[in-house]
Amino acid sequence: MTQVELSAVRKQFGGYVAIDEIDLDVASGELVALLGPSGCGKTTTLRMIAGLERPTAGEIRFDGKDVSEVPVQDRNVGMVFQRYALFPHMTVERNVAFGLSVRGLPKAEIEARLDEMLEVVQLQAFRTRFPAQLSGGQMQRVAIARTLITKPSVLMMDEPLANLDTALRGEMRRFIRALQQRFGITTIFVTHDQVEAMELADRVAVIFNGRLAQYDTPERIYRRPASLEVAHFMGAANIFPGRLVARDRIETDLGLLECTPLAGMDVGATVHAMLRGEALEMTTEPPPAGRQAIRGKIASRDFFGASVTYGVRCGSQQVTVTENARRMVDVGAEVWLDIAPEHVWLIRT
Amino acid sequence: MTPATKTHPLTRRERRARILLFAQFVPIFAVLVILFGGALVMAVLQSLGFAPWFGVNTFPTLDYFAALWGSATFWTSLGLTLYYATVSTFLALVLGTLLALALVKTFRGKTFYKYLYKLPLMIPYTVGIALAVIMLGNGGMLSRLAAFFGVIDDPGQFLQILKTHYGWGIIAVYIWKQTPFITLAVYAVLLGIGRETEEAAAILGAGRRTIFFRVTLPQILPGIVSSTLICFAFNIGAFEAPFILGGGFPDTLPVVAWRYFNDSDYTLQLRGMATVVSIGIVSGVILFAYLAVYRTFERRMGRN
Ligand SMILES: Nc1ncnc2c1ncn2[C@@H]1O[C@H](COP(=O)(O)OP(=O)(O)OP(=O)(O)O)[C@@H](O)[C@H]1O
Ligand SMILES: [Mg+2]
Repeated sequence: MTQVELSAVRKQFGGYVAIDEIDLDVASGELVALLGPSGCGKTTTLRMIAGLERPTAGEIRFDGKDVSEVPVQDRNVGMVFQRYALFPHMTVERNVAFGLSVRGLPKAEIEARLDEMLEVVQLQAFRTRFPAQLSGGQMQRVAIARTLITKPSVLMMDEPLANLDTALRGEMRRFIRALQQRFGITTIFVTHDQVEAMELADRVAVIFNGRLAQYDTPERIYRRPASLEVAHFMGAANIFPGRLVARDRIETDLGLLECTPLAGMDVGATVHAMLRGEALEMTTEPPPAGRQAIRGKIASRDFFGASVTYGVRCGSQQVTVTENARRMVDVGAEVWLDIAPEHVWLIRT
Repeated sequence: MTPATKTHPLTRRERRARILLFAQFVPIFAVLVILFGGALVMAVLQSLGFAPWFGVNTFPTLDYFAALWGSATFWTSLGLTLYYATVSTFLALVLGTLLALALVKTFRGKTFYKYLYKLPLMIPYTVGIALAVIMLGNGGMLSRLAAFFGVIDDPGQFLQILKTHYGWGIIAVYIWKQTPFITLAVYAVLLGIGRETEEAAAILGAGRRTIFFRVTLPQILPGIVSSTLICFAFNIGAFEAPFILGGGFPDTLPVVAWRYFNDSDYTLQLRGMATVVSIGIVSGVILFAYLAVYRTFERRMGRN
């Protein structure tokens, strides 16, 4: 399989800077998600890797070799487009077999690989249909099959699940993950849905305004965001400004909190403390002595079926707590929030 | 009808609206039925020998068609007519499609070129014909230039472009006028289909030719068919260009018809009508066959 490397890649459209500067290193066989708000340059990044767009500056390397002179046709990449881009005048089987037939493979081999691929994506029953006669999820699977059948060494998918309903989306996610692991293809996956990115990816690249904001495992991106922007984008609700009074003590409006020390941060620095809403332990009785707990009062309650989100008023501050909907605590009840120091994460300002 | 679904009688307002709608259609119907339909019926009747106002009434007879179709020059004329129409439509199609494909790309000065190529659309045919005479004729600009640069000794020796049965002048004028028209039609369709299917094909390993013939062409076919249909139908019936730039006897069919109509022997009018009806039949059959083939193709591509 292929290792992909972007080094100091920049892309300008006329005077408009779409990608400022991006360094990205995708290991062979890895599944990486590009995550970011609309217009941050995700599609542009994919198009440059595919060779559809030329970087204004920087270098793209496959297995260490610069590919800027390699035309699209010869890069052996696969791309599933944001809007599928199926050939409207071809049936499902002709769409899927296209990549093999332009390579001039013998008919029998095309037929065999086509059968196998249609089996994998469960489209045997639809082989003679035209794209206009398919549902969104079926078109999506045709697009994936059409790409996978050519055995690309790098697979790119541009928000392939954006147009699907929730149930189909989950099914397709697991399907893509299984396929990717089965074929071991280096995969770059674009999404602006953080849940999707976390479920699918080995590593997540968060992009803001054409710059790589953080590139890490889903868990670290979620729990240990490198900047306030990333924290907000990943849905963090409880972020409090404060000042470091010791390496593991931060003074905030919530009170003095014991926290995880962050390398390279000096005592006296102004920082932010992030508390994940589901990492807080909420009790209706005071916790045993020796725990770090603050007292508050429930101000609001939102029920989401599986989970409940409470707004807890602690002095002048509001803390959001999410827990399993096993119990329901009434608005107005007095509660204690048990905050484990390992769940207090510091973010540089 | 069950009582439950009994409809209300029309209100006065609804009745007025209906009358108004009908009134809007009257002028169109009048033009279609009286002017066009009536003329068509008259032309067919005359070609079948009905012209009491000339003192001729042998209706119904196929004599005029027999006389016309029996002469070898008719078939030569038909051949010339079809040759000019087909070659110019085909060449305009190739050029127009290439131009449209170039126009969807981004390049410097694109806006300028997008205006420039439409210019011939706004200039009348007669002006185009005059330009052809000035440029391509013996004693025209090209021949003088050739003589000036010593390619030939005298402008009179210049390659005969106009007034030959090869019809290069006629074809040039048609192409000059119709290439922009086809470009316009194909360009609009190209914009509609977007670049993505072509890009997908490139990523799947297809080269430029394969992409054009297997991905782009089938998708722009509706634009190609409708625009070439219009051009071909026009070319088959066009009169000025072959009349002025053509090679003389035997002429194309529209010119032949014109000569009959202008003959001092007015009974030849009926043969003129037979010629006109023949043009109609030929172009009708060809265009119908063209559409039928296209429909089959469309159905194979899943459109209906
Ligand atoms: N061909 C182009 N010419 C000019 N600007 C472009 C072009 N393509 C993209 N851009 C701009 O570059 C920026 C990045 O575009 P891109 O399509 O990569 O965004 P994206 O991250 O994929 O967004 P989305 O999530 O909405 O798909 C956008 O502001 C867009 O307007
Ligand atoms: Mg995009």
